[in-house]
Amino acid sequence: MNSSETVYTLVRYWMKGRFTRATAAWMVIGESFAVGLVLLVGGTFLSFSSRFNIGSGLSYVGLSLLFAFFLVGLVQSGFNGSGLPVSTADVDYVFTSPVSTSDIFIAKVSMNSFTTVLLSFPPILTLYLRFGASYGTSPLAALAAGLATLAFFVLALFFSADITLSLNSRLGARVRLVRNATLVAIAGISLLPLTLLIPEAPPQLAQAAGVLPSGLAARVSYSLVSGAAWGSGDYIDILLLAAWFLALFAVGLRLSRRNFLEVLQINDPDSEGDTLKDTKVRSSLKTEGRSLGAVVRAKERVIMTRTKEMRSLFVNALFLSGFMVIYSLSGVFQSSPTSFLFLLFIIGSFGSGNASRWLEKERLWLIKTSAIDLKRYVSEVYRARVTPLLLVLAPVAAAVGAPLLLEETSTPGSGLEIGLSLPESLEVAALMMAGGMYFAARYGQSSVDDTLATQGQDLADVKRFVYQTLINLGLVAPLMGFVLGAGPLLGLIGGSHVLLLAGVIGVAGLAYTTLVLRFILRIAGESLERREDL
Amino acid sequence: MQALKGVSLSVGSGEIVGLLGPNGAGKSTLMKIVVGILRPTSGSVSISGKDVAREPDAAKRVVGYLPENPSLYTGLTVREFLSFVGKIRGVEDEPLRSRISEALKTFSLEEKSSALLGTLSKGMKQKVALIAATLHEPAVLVLDEPLTALDPRTQAFVNGWISSQREKGTTVLLSTHNLDIAQDHATQIAIMDRGSIIALGSLESLRKKAGTGSDSRLDEVFLKLTTPGTEE
Repeated sequence: MNSSETVYTLVRYWMKGRFTRATAAWMVIGESFAVGLVLLVGGTFLSFSSRFNIGSGLSYVGLSLLFAFFLVGLVQSGFNGSGLPVSTADVDYVFTSPVSTSDIFIAKVSMNSFTTVLLSFPPILTLYLRFGASYGTSPLAALAAGLATLAFFVLALFFSADITLSLNSRLGARVRLVRNATLVAIAGISLLPLTLLIPEAPPQLAQAAGVLPSGLAARVSYSLVSGAAWGSGDYIDILLLAAWFLALFAVGLRLSRRNFLEVLQINDPDSEGDTLKDTKVRSSLKTEGRSLGAVVRAKERVIMTRTKEMRSLFVNALFLSGFMVIYSLSGVFQSSPTSFLFLLFIIGSFGSGNASRWLEKERLWLIKTSAIDLKRYVSEVYRARVTPLLLVLAPVAAAVGAPLLLEETSTPGSGLEIGLSLPESLEVAALMMAGGMYFAARYGQSSVDDTLATQGQDLADVKRFVYQTLINLGLVAPLMGFVLGAGPLLGLIGGSHVLLLAGVIGVAGLAYTTLVLRFILRIAGESLERREDL
Repeated sequence: MQALKGVSLSVGSGEIVGLLGPNGAGKSTLMKIVVGILRPTSGSVSISGKDVAREPDAAKRVVGYLPENPSLYTGLTVREFLSFVGKIRGVEDEPLRSRISEALKTFSLEEKSSALLGTLSKGMKQKVALIAATLHEPAVLVLDEPLTALDPRTQAFVNGWISSQREKGTTVLLSTHNLDIAQDHATQIAIMDRGSIIALGSLESLRKKAGTGSDSRLDEVFLKLTTPGTEE
């Protein structure tokens, strides 16, 4: 077989295993849901932008930051060794066959690119068409912008694969240092558009991100969608984007010639013993004299600490707080209900992501064959996991809230809404985390890294995603209603009752959260009792 | 699809029942039903008079289980894991501490007590899982392929350990493809095929059923009974 036949055969058989009829059906439902969500979010965003006369600049910033986060996420994934997902079957059958490793690399990235394009294109095109309609540009421009964005997504996948391939290559210490410094610089520079949100920060800082794929793709896509006049700079951007695309692919191809098989050892669970040999750990799980609940919580904390989970929680919170503080200081955070929604969602969604790292997975046999109440077990695990989440998010909420509250002391209605939105954002996070655990208990678990690694391998997860998003939104809607209703209610009963109203709404929110949490954790435990896929 | 049909098996106290059968015969499914992981669509399982579906906690207290591929918390040390398992299996602090120390010594894992489970070899993990299965001193042990993928030394160790369980009077339901182990230990042998028990009894009674000689080996009996068209 020649090279192209090999690649075709590999992709064809990998695809066969992934696309069952049920998966395809759920993919269509998931895509429809994503398109609906994009229309809603895009519409809200446009209305928010026009209402506060923020102008088109924010759209560019939003797009470039979105792309930057995507890029940084894939860089992190590449460093975790999951930039080039391989299965045990690949190792056993594909790599032991007389097939060139470069062909395997091409087949792998082709397939990841295909699923990414397939899943991303409908919502992206919808988003650009919605924006294009607002700017009065043609659908063709939206289509071209969508293609530029997809090219960026695909090259980001190449980038992630390259990083994984470079992990075990025989790079000298100096080259490794240069590589790591470059990646840190790329991550840092890609996030520079954040500075556009800081009043009086030099705009040249944000322009520096324009040399990176995220900045280039954002600029090209935004120019097309907004109908800005095209100049030679735009053509240069397209050429630079194409250059990044080809360069990252070429680097991957080069790295795949020698180091592909060795990289697999990094992800091979059986080789874990080699890297951690002779590791002695001081015991930190004390069980004597403690209740069963305390032991379960302690076990969960120990595992979170010894894995990268706690570290990633802090790093993500650091990013989140930086973004939120800059955003709140930027002045665009006016006393608007939309802004509170934004605040609540951003902080609250943190909980949902965190829950997805609850990975009992196949270890459930141990719990299910013990004489313990699974509903209680789930509650104890939740307590152990929600505590660090709230401890990390509380300072974020405080950092965002302090400047906002100081600005709004003269207007009790706005102050009340802001004041309520901050503790309730933590309640939203707690609810979303419980919702995430319920879905993890019911449908199984996959970590964020797994999701990135498989790139659609578990397309059945779409089902879980749809349910989870809808139900989580439904669960937190009353809390948002409390915040949005507080200002108008104060207008009705008079500004002098602000503290009383804050107390009543605060207590009502807490009571609602407590009741819903108890319910979700109970049904999560019941779902675990019914799980038989062990 | 029906994984099991018409399965009826009674195991007396202190007996060791070898559960044999080709791949996909339903051995693991039966074991998962016995330990309460799966629920049967019909029928029931009682252990020491406790119905597994109706009194799961009472039944689980007297059963120890070793799955075919035991997955452990790789982020915990050996001692932490065993302490955690003992706790969720309801063992009091003092006996738990002494049982863990004793078991680590018996299984030659004392030096590894502070090692993370993720750093251990397959054989060592299997030993840890065996300790975990017996920490609450169950009257019944359900062992699903306890020798799979173990090196000869560890296989010999586990083999000896199963003998010690027989001497202690523990009832054992042992699923295995290793017919020598079954022949050595089992007081009764159950042969499963396509979701049913097709033969049950002592080795002698199975030899008669298969029509093989009185000194025939278990593998001959097994092949005779499970090869389509050769049953008596």
